[in-house]
Amino acid sequence: MDKLTKWVIGIIGVIAVVVIGYFLSESTSKVSAEQIKIGVVAPMTGNLAFLGEGIRDAMLLAKQDLGSTQYAYELIFEDDQLDPKMTASAVNKLIGVNKVAAIVSFGSGPGNVVAPIAEQNKVVHFGIASDPNVAKGEFNFIHWTPPSEENKVFVEKLQSRGIKKLGVFESNQQGAAAAIADLKEKLKETDIEIVTNQVFNPGEKDFRSIISKAKNSGAEIYLLLAFSPELEVLAKQIKEAGINTPLTSIESFELSEQVDLFEGEWYVTAASPTGDFTSKFEVKTDKNPTLGAANAYDIFNLVVTAAEGFRGSTKPKPSQIANELTTIKDFNGVLGNLSVNEDGIVISKAVIRMIKDGKPVDIDN
Amino acid sequence: MEIVPQLILNSIIAGAIYALIALGFNFIYGATKFFNLAHGVMAAISGYAVFYFAKTLGSNIYFAVIFGVALAGIVGYGLDKFIYLPLRKRKVSNMVLLVASLGAMTALQAVIAILFTSRFKTLSQNIGTQKLFEVLGGVITQTQLITILITVLILAGLVLLLYKTQFGKAVRAISDDEEVARIVGINTNKIIGRVFFIGSALAGLAGILIGFDTGIEPTMGLGLLLKGVIASIIGGVGNIYGGVLGAFLLGFVENFGIWKISGEWKDAIAFTLLIVFLIFRPRGIMNK
Repeated sequence: MDKLTKWVIGIIGVIAVVVIGYFLSESTSKVSAEQIKIGVVAPMTGNLAFLGEGIRDAMLLAKQDLGSTQYAYELIFEDDQLDPKMTASAVNKLIGVNKVAAIVSFGSGPGNVVAPIAEQNKVVHFGIASDPNVAKGEFNFIHWTPPSEENKVFVEKLQSRGIKKLGVFESNQQGAAAAIADLKEKLKETDIEIVTNQVFNPGEKDFRSIISKAKNSGAEIYLLLAFSPELEVLAKQIKEAGINTPLTSIESFELSEQVDLFEGEWYVTAASPTGDFTSKFEVKTDKNPTLGAANAYDIFNLVVTAAEGFRGSTKPKPSQIANELTTIKDFNGVLGNLSVNEDGIVISKAVIRMIKDGKPVDIDN
Repeated sequence: MEIVPQLILNSIIAGAIYALIALGFNFIYGATKFFNLAHGVMAAISGYAVFYFAKTLGSNIYFAVIFGVALAGIVGYGLDKFIYLPLRKRKVSNMVLLVASLGAMTALQAVIAILFTSRFKTLSQNIGTQKLFEVLGGVITQTQLITILITVLILAGLVLLLYKTQFGKAVRAISDDEEVARIVGINTNKIIGRVFFIGSALAGLAGILIGFDTGIEPTMGLGLLLKGVIASIIGGVGNIYGGVLGAFLLGFVENFGIWKISGEWKDAIAFTLLIVFLIFRPRGIMNK
């Protein structure tokens, strides 16, 4: 093969890729006049893929459960591995290529990435996130039990158990920082004190020295705020350091696939879904609903309710869906009666659970 | 002060892991004079090999470990044979070799993620099954103790290999001047290939030990490599003793550095140490 032939084949190859790419993107970007697209950015691969899969399954279940509607709804899923860098490219693709009317994100880090992009592009954004900053702006909303609700329940539980000294291991992430800041405020009104607060960076695997620092603090319980796999490695190294102090968390235990590591430990987490939703989810996936799955189910229905509630001759624009969302009150969701408050946050109650026989179970509040 | 014995032990454990990486890295750098960025990924390759054979197929653990170490060595040898050697023959600059090694690292990481997903996996059994030892007032696990012992044995073995064998003499000759070594009749390409095998196998061994201690993930190599490179630079790049000294110094500075400040500063402390050395003693402690 001479040099010229190689060049010709190379150029044809590049053109073919560009043309195929163009037609593929064209086919996905064509929006039916009566179709409303909802993009979902969640971890579909990586350590937290089981959470993304739970969100995907719940949203597909919500779509499946949908009765007759004026518009058709399409769900488009993008993987961000819960990495804000990947979130940015995924959300730009959903807006630029797929022309979605609404986006659902998971986690405070990704939520903070999506919020300004959604606001700028005038696309509805629902974050399953604890950081209230995610709901800032006209187009941004949150459906998650806020840290203030979870901390209220957490502090009451500490008091009822007579715990006075709390140790904290906290991943240096927005959601954890927001939760700890609120917890510190709440503890000011009590006689409970944080005797050690160890912060570590995401990705850290060697916790031995911060555990050594915490070991002699006199903490009666350790609060772990971390994602997987740091959470499991931290718990393992705490046990290996010979520490038998009880562990607890706010949400984190349900961010792990190895919940048996926390057998017998109580923790606070976001609201429990109805039994009906749990049964349907289990039938569809053969698993218990994962963290955020019920929120995702409700979000799909909230967006549909807002879109269907718009009275106009044409399909509602994202700004009109956003306006309709702010008017929703006492919506019958799987997480209870839901209302969108003035900050764009759908508040649901926190619950106390315990890991029993390797499964999370609700216990008394 | 009760914390000091545990911090010393933690520093030694971290230093031992960094030393295994730095030993292999320095061994390869000494012979080739380029930063092999694919060195760290050998840790992931062997870790996943052990995971596959021991945990997925249920093979004998010792067989899995030997296979994992050998596989890392073979992959390292293969990289030299099929990527670095052809480039060296074309007399490309070290920058080209560095970029090639970056490409190799990225590709190998991607292959591991495709084969095994990018989820974190652990090689050890359930928690509570590891034996704990009390040493000098601190606690150390069986795996960590084995890691420290293996590092000492590997260092001794490598020193014997370098200073008591014909192969070692050839490696040192290439390390001093590859051109002169070739002129005096040493088959430098063959020796460098073997250096890649041994150096990569050492990184593989580190990966398996980390897998038993904490766990493995496809991207684990980059973080390890960075720590190995810092250890090598502060100890003296290309110097076997320097790499080990640098590794333990790094382990102590990292662990004692966060004694009074937050743990999130750990990496900042490590890289500050690197910058201090680059400015004031760029050739490292051993100053080869």
